[in-house]
Amino acid sequence: MKLLLVEDDAPLAAEIAKALRAENFALDHAANGEDAQHLGETETYDAVVLDLGLPKRDGLSVLQAWRAAGRTMPVLILTARDGWSDKVAGFKAGADDFLVKPFRVEELVIRLRALVRRATAHGASRVTCGPLSYESGLGTFERDGLPLKLTGLEWRVLSCLILHKDGVMPRGQLIERVYDGDADVDSNSVEVIITRLRRKIAPARIEGVRGHGYRLLPGDPA
Amino acid sequence: MTPPGRLRAVAGPADRPDPPEKPVPAKPVGFLHLGSLQRRLLLAALALVTAALLVAGLAIGLVLHRFVRAQLDSRLDSQLVALAASLQRGPGERLRLDRALDGPPFDRPRSGWYWQVRQGQDTLRSESLEGRDLRLPGPARPPRERDPDRPEPGDGTGPWDESLILRIRVLPPEGGGPPAHLVASAPAQALNGPLREAGLALAAILGILGLCLVAGTVAQVRLGLRPLERLRRDVAEVRAGRRHRIPAKQPAEIRPLVGEVNALLDQNAANLERARTHVANLAHGLKTPLATLTLALSDRTRDPDGGLADLVGAMDRQVRHHLRRARAAALGGGTRTRTELAGPLADLRTTFGRLYAEKRLAIDLDLPAGLAVACDPQDVDEMLGNLIDNACQWSRGRVRVTAAATEAGVAVTVADDGPGLDAEAAARAVRPGGRLDESVPGHGFGLSITRELAELYGGGLHLARSDLGGLGVRLLLPA
Repeated sequence: MKLLLVEDDAPLAAEIAKALRAENFALDHAANGEDAQHLGETETYDAVVLDLGLPKRDGLSVLQAWRAAGRTMPVLILTARDGWSDKVAGFKAGADDFLVKPFRVEELVIRLRALVRRATAHGASRVTCGPLSYESGLGTFERDGLPLKLTGLEWRVLSCLILHKDGVMPRGQLIERVYDGDADVDSNSVEVIITRLRRKIAPARIEGVRGHGYRLLPGDPA
Repeated sequence: MTPPGRLRAVAGPADRPDPPEKPVPAKPVGFLHLGSLQRRLLLAALALVTAALLVAGLAIGLVLHRFVRAQLDSRLDSQLVALAASLQRGPGERLRLDRALDGPPFDRPRSGWYWQVRQGQDTLRSESLEGRDLRLPGPARPPRERDPDRPEPGDGTGPWDESLILRIRVLPPEGGGPPAHLVASAPAQALNGPLREAGLALAAILGILGLCLVAGTVAQVRLGLRPLERLRRDVAEVRAGRRHRIPAKQPAEIRPLVGEVNALLDQNAANLERARTHVANLAHGLKTPLATLTLALSDRTRDPDGGLADLVGAMDRQVRHHLRRARAAALGGGTRTRTELAGPLADLRTTFGRLYAEKRLAIDLDLPAGLAVACDPQDVDEMLGNLIDNACQWSRGRVRVTAAATEAGVAVTVADDGPGLDAEAAARAVRPGGRLDESVPGHGFGLSITRELAELYGGGLHLARSDLGGLGVRLLLPA
């Protein structure tokens, strides 16, 4: 899962980034409104953490610009403005959730996972695919009821596939959602991760769709 | 039944804001009210009218006096002319008239209508004198050189002590004899009587005129000052929040004043906006480092026993509490606007639908169309947001917001189906500085801040059990 973090305060942004990466999220960071708007319009993100008081362009107008451009990714507003009028204005501009500074990192993470899950049309907090299940509240995977140990990259790939289990996940999108924006991506490395995952999740399996992408399937091919 | 920490309220000293100023009832602008414009204008008008009427009365009286006197004089003068013409005073002859001249009114004894001719020792007189002499005032003056035929005026007293008006003519000596003194008189009553009558009529007419003028002035002053009364009502409407500014359509004399007042209102609004921005900036400035600290301390190696995190939490609560207080003070002091409830409530339902998306709450709204309160829209958001937030936190699935007009204003009830609150806990929840739930961070303070805001507007907050089973909070706001 990949997030866009929009926060102009460098120490806070560093702390949030550290905390989110520790929870296996891939992350891009924008420190002003213009960069944020550009990234949000051109890249694919599973969710956005948006500060409102930004240099160059206010957070609310960035959000409105995204929505006007048809970008529908879930947006969590993270702001010091805690009046209900501010929150109402945020939701009217198209926000999906609102968190007031200061906050606990656990709350941010839980809310982000829930946002991503709901955005992929999964109502319940637990998403299952055959023997595999993903608990979005905790961000953990189980296979046949037993915890599954995954590396950060494996978690990113598998969470992406299980949340989009009803369709094929294009390869390009998968790569975008797994690596940080500034990471040096080796096109083969996704293949390597998929191969490792296939061993861990059997009998569920990841089907490669030639020239297109990947799909998570519940069990043995018929 | 009530778990500890059912509700959260404000930590911190109980520094309640000052209650809002009560509107001053309009004082009637009484006629005798000291320092009133009406009184000043009316007194000035009264003084001017009285002075003008006095001067006019005196002038008219003088003219009348001269007119009546001239009439009398000309009558007496004709008598003198007749006397001079019929006077026979040849040398060595006794003085005599060649015809009788005692026509009315000179024939009525003691009437004051007399004549008399004296030359040396000879005297002729009218019958009305009954043989007595008419005393002349002082020594007879020599005839005027300019016009010896013109009689001179004079005042005198008759033989019976009656006041007389005299005309005196001196005929130059003729044939070596002494000059002849001709006198004709009329009673002073003949002058004063008509003058008194005319004076009474004149006084009556001038009095009526004066009354009309004063009445006209009163009407004029009332009419002229009416825009002031209208202005007072406009200002009262601004204060009550039914208007933002005073209408600019005013008499030219008041327009500059209204312009100034409107500029003042605009400046007030700008100051309020600035204060809010300031508070928001302060909030941002303080909370971002606090957020950084919170995240940094979530690393257990930096804060092994959680003591530092507790300190940061305490700082955060203090900052929030005082920022909210500052906001409430800035909001409550301003002018009031009319805010319809339907829009804010619909927005808040959307907001809470997303904030509590995981709980999948049903939030029902039930209010009549067009229901409005006399509160600032941001305050309405704050109060209702706090109440609905509190209800959503404790609800098991349903939150209901109902609003209705009451005789005292508008009552908004926010009910939930949560665990509810016993009486003692309810009292603690709304007490300033009281806080039920110390363990949950985030938007707290809701009930007591809402109560403070409501009381700033002259409303109130009451807790009860709701018919959904949980807490029912009833918020009273002015309509």
